[in-house]
Amino acid sequence: MDLNSVYVPSKNVVARLVQGEFIVIPITDGIGDSGDGIFTLNETGRAIWDKLDGKSNLKEIVDCLASEFNIPTSEIKDDILGLVKELLKMKILVKV
Amino acid sequence: MKKKFIKRISPTKLNLWDKFKSGERKLASFDLEITARCNNNCRHCYINLSADDKVAEGKELNFKQIKDIAGQAVDLGALWCLITGGEPLLRKDFFDIYIYLKKKGLLVSVFTNATLVTKKHVDLFKKYPPDDIEVTVYGVTQAIYDKVTRMPGSFSAFTNGVKLLLNNGIKVRFKAMVLRSNVNRLPQIARFCRARTKDYFRFDPFLRLRLDGNLQRNKDIQSERLSPQEIISIEQQDSERFQEMEINCNKLIVSESEHLGGSHLFRCGAGNKRCYISYDGYFRLCPSLWHPDCMYDLKKAKLKEAWDKFALEVRDMRSNKEEFLKKCGKCRIINLCMGCPAHSYLETGELDSPVEYFCKVAHARASLLNYGIPLN
Repeated sequence: MDLNSVYVPSKNVVARLVQGEFIVIPITDGIGDSGDGIFTLNETGRAIWDKLDGKSNLKEIVDCLASEFNIPTSEIKDDILGLVKELLKMKILVKV
Repeated sequence: MKKKFIKRISPTKLNLWDKFKSGERKLASFDLEITARCNNNCRHCYINLSADDKVAEGKELNFKQIKDIAGQAVDLGALWCLITGGEPLLRKDFFDIYIYLKKKGLLVSVFTNATLVTKKHVDLFKKYPPDDIEVTVYGVTQAIYDKVTRMPGSFSAFTNGVKLLLNNGIKVRFKAMVLRSNVNRLPQIARFCRARTKDYFRFDPFLRLRLDGNLQRNKDIQSERLSPQEIISIEQQDSERFQEMEINCNKLIVSESEHLGGSHLFRCGAGNKRCYISYDGYFRLCPSLWHPDCMYDLKKAKLKEAWDKFALEVRDMRSNKEEFLKKCGKCRIINLCMGCPAHSYLETGELDSPVEYFCKVAHARASLLNYGIPLN
């Protein structure tokens, strides 16, 4: 995955904070694998999600979160790339 | 090991609904009645006005007003929205309304009679999947269906609509209203529904009176009501429903020592997690609550005011009527009863007048569950 790439949530999903749960709601068919439902992100997932704003590239996001959480970039990079890969596969995220 | 940051889950399985249920009072869902008009003219219907009723159409919230109210509901945290009517597919801007609600991040359900479903609706529901579509079945033959709807050709339109939905993979939940005109065919209706429903089938034998108080239509509705004995008989024949009633007996029937009693009119959950927006823009606690003191005009005020203040005032309404205090105020089987302030008002013009028919049904149901309590 190219660290210079920029990603943004698909227009086919809506992210909302409901009753303290961060949820991603598909608007259209074809989001994620087959089946009904919505998606929920844990705290780390949400921290990554918040940075996927269509402006910062992945390298900037890795650096930013590493600095925010005061952990080495090597530790957080795989987590970020893993989630981005998963979100892309589910069509929740798109490349700008 | 690969870390899991995201998971897919059904909203009802997610602890979200439990949080709504157990937590502080918060708007979880709202019903949006986008029209009172309907292309059918069902004998039992409490709301339907003619499809070409221009006065009713003129009173309907327009798309801009609907967007505004739905946006306010989302800001208050609502997650579920039910589009209902009348027949919602009658609205020319149904597509716009539906897509708008979906794009606001709401889990949208639709109640429809399915008679107006076209390929365009199928395409819409395929592209923007609904949380639920519920279709009411009035009969499974032309004779019975058209007798209930009083609309020749409606059965054919219904079967076409249902076929369009099911043949295109749109999951539908089927339900039935049970009235004198179709009660003899309930087994066939139930079979039809169970064979096609996405999950479960339920029927409703409780016919409520008209919101507009139309005297002739009310007579029609009363003549279609089943007797208490007939109601418990069909409930008993539905093993799934009856077993559920038996299992939940302890929740439905309050023991003497637990009974809270009192003068509060509202014992139900109306206005705690859910609210209702009428076609003409009035906030209400439930679809049946039509008393002028219990409606709040959202064309002039904000939903937040209605939800935060007005709804609590309505829920706190009390009665000092002796009859109410002696009967409903102390009733241990109130949860088996269709009686509530909303229905009392439709039946008697007062929020706190007991209704004999409801009383009899509740007592018949209690007897069936071996909790016979003498009628006061």
